[in-house]
Amino acid sequence: MTSPEDATPVKPPPSFSPGVARVPSISRYPDDPDSAHSIDAELAEYRSGSSPTPSLATTTELPIRSSSPHARSIRSSTPQLARSSLGSPFEGRFDGSEDIRSLIIRAFSPAVAVYASDDTDELVRNKGFKGGFWELIRPFGETVPGKVVIRDSVGSSRAWEDYGVRFMDLKGFGRTPAGRESGRESPLAQMEEILEQQLESSEGPLGTTIPSKDAQGLPIASPLWKILLRQILSTTSAAPHETFNHPVASVIAISSRNGSPLETLRQLYAESSSGEKRLPDWVHQEYLRYYVLVHDEERDDIAESTKLYDQMKRHFGLHCHLLRLRSSQCVVTDDDSVQVPICEWLSPQEHLSGVGEAETLVDLGTDGTPYLFDSDATAIRTFIRELIVQSVIPFMENRVAVWNDQVASRRRGISGRFMSVGRRFMTFGSGSRSGAAGASGGSGNYDSTNNSYSPDSPEAVLRKMADFAFMLRDWKLSASTYEMIQSDYKNDKAWKYHAGVNEMCAVSMLLNPLAASTKIKLESIDQMFENACYSYLTRCSDGPHALRSLTLAVELLKSRGGSATESAARWAMRVMDFGLVGPVGQILFTERVSTCYASKTPVSGARWGARRRKAGMWSIFAADQWLKAGKATQASACLEEAERLYADVLEVDGVFPMPEMQTFVDNLRHAVKVEYLGTRGFNTQDEPAPGELEATEETSEQLANVGKRAHRHSLIGLPAQLDAGSLNTTSGVRDPEDPPNDDFERA
Amino acid sequence: MSYYFTILSPTDTPIFNIAFGTSKGGGDGIARFRFPDTAQYMNQFIIHSSLDIVEEAQWTNGGMYLKHVDTYPPAAAYISAFLTPSGARFLLLHQPPQLPNSNTGSLGSSSLLGPGGSTTRASSSSIAANPTSPQTEEAVRQFMNEIYESFVKTAMSPFYKQGMEIRSPVFRTKVTAAGKKWL
Repeated sequence: MTSPEDATPVKPPPSFSPGVARVPSISRYPDDPDSAHSIDAELAEYRSGSSPTPSLATTTELPIRSSSPHARSIRSSTPQLARSSLGSPFEGRFDGSEDIRSLIIRAFSPAVAVYASDDTDELVRNKGFKGGFWELIRPFGETVPGKVVIRDSVGSSRAWEDYGVRFMDLKGFGRTPAGRESGRESPLAQMEEILEQQLESSEGPLGTTIPSKDAQGLPIASPLWKILLRQILSTTSAAPHETFNHPVASVIAISSRNGSPLETLRQLYAESSSGEKRLPDWVHQEYLRYYVLVHDEERDDIAESTKLYDQMKRHFGLHCHLLRLRSSQCVVTDDDSVQVPICEWLSPQEHLSGVGEAETLVDLGTDGTPYLFDSDATAIRTFIRELIVQSVIPFMENRVAVWNDQVASRRRGISGRFMSVGRRFMTFGSGSRSGAAGASGGSGNYDSTNNSYSPDSPEAVLRKMADFAFMLRDWKLSASTYEMIQSDYKNDKAWKYHAGVNEMCAVSMLLNPLAASTKIKLESIDQMFENACYSYLTRCSDGPHALRSLTLAVELLKSRGGSATESAARWAMRVMDFGLVGPVGQILFTERVSTCYASKTPVSGARWGARRRKAGMWSIFAADQWLKAGKATQASACLEEAERLYADVLEVDGVFPMPEMQTFVDNLRHAVKVEYLGTRGFNTQDEPAPGELEATEETSEQLANVGKRAHRHSLIGLPAQLDAGSLNTTSGVRDPEDPPNDDFERA
Repeated sequence: MSYYFTILSPTDTPIFNIAFGTSKGGGDGIARFRFPDTAQYMNQFIIHSSLDIVEEAQWTNGGMYLKHVDTYPPAAAYISAFLTPSGARFLLLHQPPQLPNSNTGSLGSSSLLGPGGSTTRASSSSIAANPTSPQTEEAVRQFMNEIYESFVKTAMSPFYKQGMEIRSPVFRTKVTAAGKKWL
């Protein structure tokens, strides 16, 4: 290992380099490229350095792969939502919250089941997709190209550019709930494991996770936080109490290789609706069937397929599609090869297996993602767009309208209220319809042995309608429906339903861009989240759902701005208090508390109203925890962030008025620095660490207000050991009052 | 209940610090914070971060006593604030004791006074039971007012310059006495 003397001059990590960290915050905005790109500049310096250490040279060649999918998703999602929510009060405060909102909205996309015949799966398997047809189309479903126009319940239509669906394997659907019962806590543990893996992969000798900044130099959500958020949102599998993962439609696919196509289709339909592939009883069986004929371009005759397709259209109506694919496998070197997009929404379990798979392929120079012919990709995109725009969306709109008319409006009217009251006290009415009516005071539709409603009962239909409206992004309708059925669930003591409805009601209220301008009561939203997490945790001990609702609360309240950010921070503290996340998750939530406070902007024209001190404090705590976890890079980033936050409120940059705080921060800075350089292989023995620490302790005891500045010197002086250049900048900060102290501390 | 009382100068520099515990309900007047001994800097961090709220509250609240302004939920620390005309601020951090079932060990000394008796008395005393109750607010107000009087007299001393640290032992005794009397 080279010692600092003979290597190129090494800039210390940003948080302790005086020149960067102590620039007053005003000059830290776009016209100051220095601070925003300090690490990049540092990296560039490294690469062009005359004698870089060998290990560094090799690692710089590796692209930082872990961050690439996010870059893609950011690019693809932000502008669209920003455009679609024109006129919302979120403009002008673009700190990545639109991005997070889009992520949350897309997390609740309609699910489409895929059930392909064996010959189709085999055809696709030849193309290199082991999971069959489902795996081939799955990544394409997450973003539908072009605008998707959705009409809401009052008839006004709105175009969305970031719409998507989630394809799910019908074969895997039935056994998911059973698997979940065995390891209930496992999703949370898996989430932690993924975070650790991501940390490891970004933790190479030079794998600095550069804190991404937007145009204003404010850090947007860290990539790790986004990973965690995405995991939290995709953890939950299909459950009776919410219908987001219940299939809205089912794609039934056959291929042109099939000998008896219509019989196969009929058989597949029968299997999925009454046979062994039938969905569990609590799933509404009435969903759209969509028939796809996969035509093999290379082996089969298109005339035959067209004839068959016409026949299909005659049998099954409009919900058909002819998908023309080439059956041979595509490799990178082919002329018109395109990379298959990476799946954005993987459950933690899939993520764990998927990441392992990608790692083994790194050596081969590929990403582990398969390739497709350009024509195939276009065909699939066209198919999915047609499926969604012409079949799925109209079907959902229609269902919402019908249920709204038949079930919800009856309930809303005066007689409906009377009915529900009557039912409650006299136990008659529609309760007799359900066979498993428990006469325990509830309405009778709730089956307390299975903890579910039958899908035909008005309670379940209303929930499904509200979920449909939510997925169609008609949050006004969904919020009012959720609110309406809330009390029913409470009376039936259907606690999981009750929790879910409270959660989604608050979420749709927060997502509704129209309600954002009108004053909605934050207390009522807080109360709903409170109910949701109490029911989830205490009554049902369902950790993943509780974590999801709390995280949604944090993110949506934060994006709302104003006084809601404080309640967002409070919910983040609740998550940590409940211990729902693992150690790395705890630190990420600590960071998030800091971001929540930091996003509270001061009253215009006044110095007060911001929460800079609180944000800085949480950032310091996060740095401390990162350091304890041995991640000096992250700790350093947090420290830098803390300095930036504190810059506005401290009289002199980096000097805290409180002596014990000062001591703690100074010790932390030093420890982070030692660790940071240590992980990069520098010999920290040369540094005056032990002596410095003693000096710190000594001086801290007799610290009065004045003594602090002198004390500050010792740490400002530290980087000078490594970088002679930075000494010049420090001398400007030096306090001319008491130079003799310097000698004392150096001794 | 444990208390940490700080007077901050207009430039946020602490000019007086004291930590003490409750003397009501059989308390022995010794502060027992929830942080470990190595983490006593937490008090200052919490006080410092609550200045954000104090700065906001001083424009919206008419009185000198701002009542309970801020909470730090992870440690259940509550902050009350009092403003003075010179720009100095009195901040009181109060932290109710941890629930008896979670740390019977640390309450060992007080349980010597009478097993069970001290805890019931402490919980019946309104101050220790609920840091945001009106009784607590009132007790803190009395405490703050009494300290304000002593502070004014100390600040009038010819040897005291504004913004200087208060080293007067008389003032410290008076604060301790006020703490014993009201909290």
